Amino acid sequence: MLLLLTSIVPAACAGVAWGILGGALPGISPSITMALLLPLTYTLEPTVAIVMLASTYVGAEYGGSIPAILIRTPGTNAAAATVTDGYAMKLQGRAGEALGISLYSGFVGGLFGLGVLVLLAERLSTVALAFTPQAYFALGVLGLSVIASLSRESLVKGLMAGVLGLMISTVGTDPVTGLTRFTFDSPDLLSGIAPILVMVGLFAIGELLAQTGEPGWQAVEERARIRFPGPAMWKRIALPQLIGSIIGTFEGVMPGGGGAVSSFLAYNEARRWSRHKEEFGHGSPEGIAAPEAANNTVACAALIPLLSLGIPSSNSAAVLLGGFLMHGLLPGPMLFVQDTNVVTGLFAGLLAANIAMVIIGYLIMGPCIWLVSRPKPYLMAFIYALVVSGVYAIETSEFQVGLALGFGVVGYAMRYFAVPLLPMVLGVVLGFMVESNYRRALVLSSGDHMTFVQDRISAILLTVAFVFMLGSLVRHLRRSEL
Amino acid sequence: MNRDLVFGAVCLALAAGYYLMAAAIPESALSDAVGPQGLPKTYAVVLGALSLVLIFRSWNPRFSVSAHRVPIMRVAGMIVIGAVYLAVVPWTGYMLALAGLIAATTYYQGGGLNGRVALVALSGAVFFWILFVAVLGIPHPPGIWPSLF
Repeated sequence: MLLLLTSIVPAACAGVAWGILGGALPGISPSITMALLLPLTYTLEPTVAIVMLASTYVGAEYGGSIPAILIRTPGTNAAAATVTDGYAMKLQGRAGEALGISLYSGFVGGLFGLGVLVLLAERLSTVALAFTPQAYFALGVLGLSVIASLSRESLVKGLMAGVLGLMISTVGTDPVTGLTRFTFDSPDLLSGIAPILVMVGLFAIGELLAQTGEPGWQAVEERARIRFPGPAMWKRIALPQLIGSIIGTFEGVMPGGGGAVSSFLAYNEARRWSRHKEEFGHGSPEGIAAPEAANNTVACAALIPLLSLGIPSSNSAAVLLGGFLMHGLLPGPMLFVQDTNVVTGLFAGLLAANIAMVIIGYLIMGPCIWLVSRPKPYLMAFIYALVVSGVYAIETSEFQVGLALGFGVVGYAMRYFAVPLLPMVLGVVLGFMVESNYRRALVLSSGDHMTFVQDRISAILLTVAFVFMLGSLVRHLRRSEL
Repeated sequence: MNRDLVFGAVCLALAAGYYLMAAAIPESALSDAVGPQGLPKTYAVVLGALSLVLIFRSWNPRFSVSAHRVPIMRVAGMIVIGAVYLAVVPWTGYMLALAGLIAATTYYQGGGLNGRVALVALSGAVFFWILFVAVLGIPHPPGIWPSLF
């Protein structure tokens, strides 16, 4: 209780505030906001660090709606669906009301997602004690099979990014023999390449480079004050919030779903079920409530596959996975057995974060508008300074800063070649688990590959992975988008 | 020249180089059936095969994605600023180097170079020093200054 009050609640509040500010900056996605914070959490107690990162995700999903409503520029991809009706309400002089609906709907969606997370995550992980090296290998393969559905535009490029990530994971000391591989005799590479460096490089530095030369965004010219909806409005937006929350839950759990997809689906469904269809596109409160509830539900629901199976379903969940790994925690079945305090603390922290979002979201509006109105060159310079300082702080190593800069170039190149980033991150974070358990299982079975089929959990997981990959392949072939 | 062709060719070369390095990993007496070379070699072969698929696919006009001009010098400039920061930080110390990085990035991004930029850069460096060194207790390079006084 003492830890909750003294550490977790402040961490949740700080994370939400950081998330709202980051989400409010156009181009800075929730995953980038989290990646920027990641190094700063290195010195914190693990539960506090994880709560802060997860709360950032919650805050960023709301923060993205602020510029969407005020300057018609979504702060995050997920807030794109809010632009139409949010900005229309702003033009009608109802910006405060739109922001209030967005904040309240985010709160409702967040609580819904948290409820589902608490109900489902532990149940999925109850098979933990039966996990063998064979099952862990199969779980890793299942995680990698997600790549197929993450590669929307090109399956081939997604798979290539995944293999590149697996290659990065082989750098360092071999998990069975202890031999060094791909270290170029550098002592800095003996322990491998930390996933956090890859994530900060690909997401944060890569985006910084991609933003170079891009025009700045429009400044906010007016002061907006949040107006929370009254009982009549609560009643009107209850159904779209429910629609958004249900869609957000499904999309959050599904690999590659994420906030953007769920927001647009929720917007469409809210319009279909609305009694005021004609208002959509012209300042409909329901057109804000549904997508905002959906993207905040995703922020919690995306943690279900992450916590229970160790599989990140989105970029933001992957960065959170990086936070777990950085603190020596392994999300997946054993987390609920070995680190119950972390899980309980995270649930409590997410509850605090969702409540804090309403208060902080109200109070932080002024600083958000100030921040969005700063000249872009200054913001870019401060983000760059934060990245180099934060990465150095992880192991006080200049080599690691150089490595993160290198991955920044890789991230920029991947954006240019239209190669998805998340498959590479999945390869990096799951590579060690796949290789070490594959080889351990073969040692235990004297090299017999049938062991992966004979182990019941392994067989089920491999079958699911196979079906998953086959389904994605068929879908890509049908659309002729190999 | 289209983008998929370039990406495929780069990855094919990478796969070949990686395979050669994997093959050069020495055998160990403790080695298991797969060995430290096993999976790396497999990854290289898979990447090579996928690269060839991408290269062949890039010849199909339906999949062809033309390369467009990128502000390569601008992007390279940002990396150079980071590299210069890394090179000078052991000598100048964290605060001064960071002020330089903020000022250089602001200038490079079109923010001009004037007294205001210098003031913001110095204030920013002090802010980050307080955050990382004073509050979080994370040591950053002090530079040559402690040895001078």
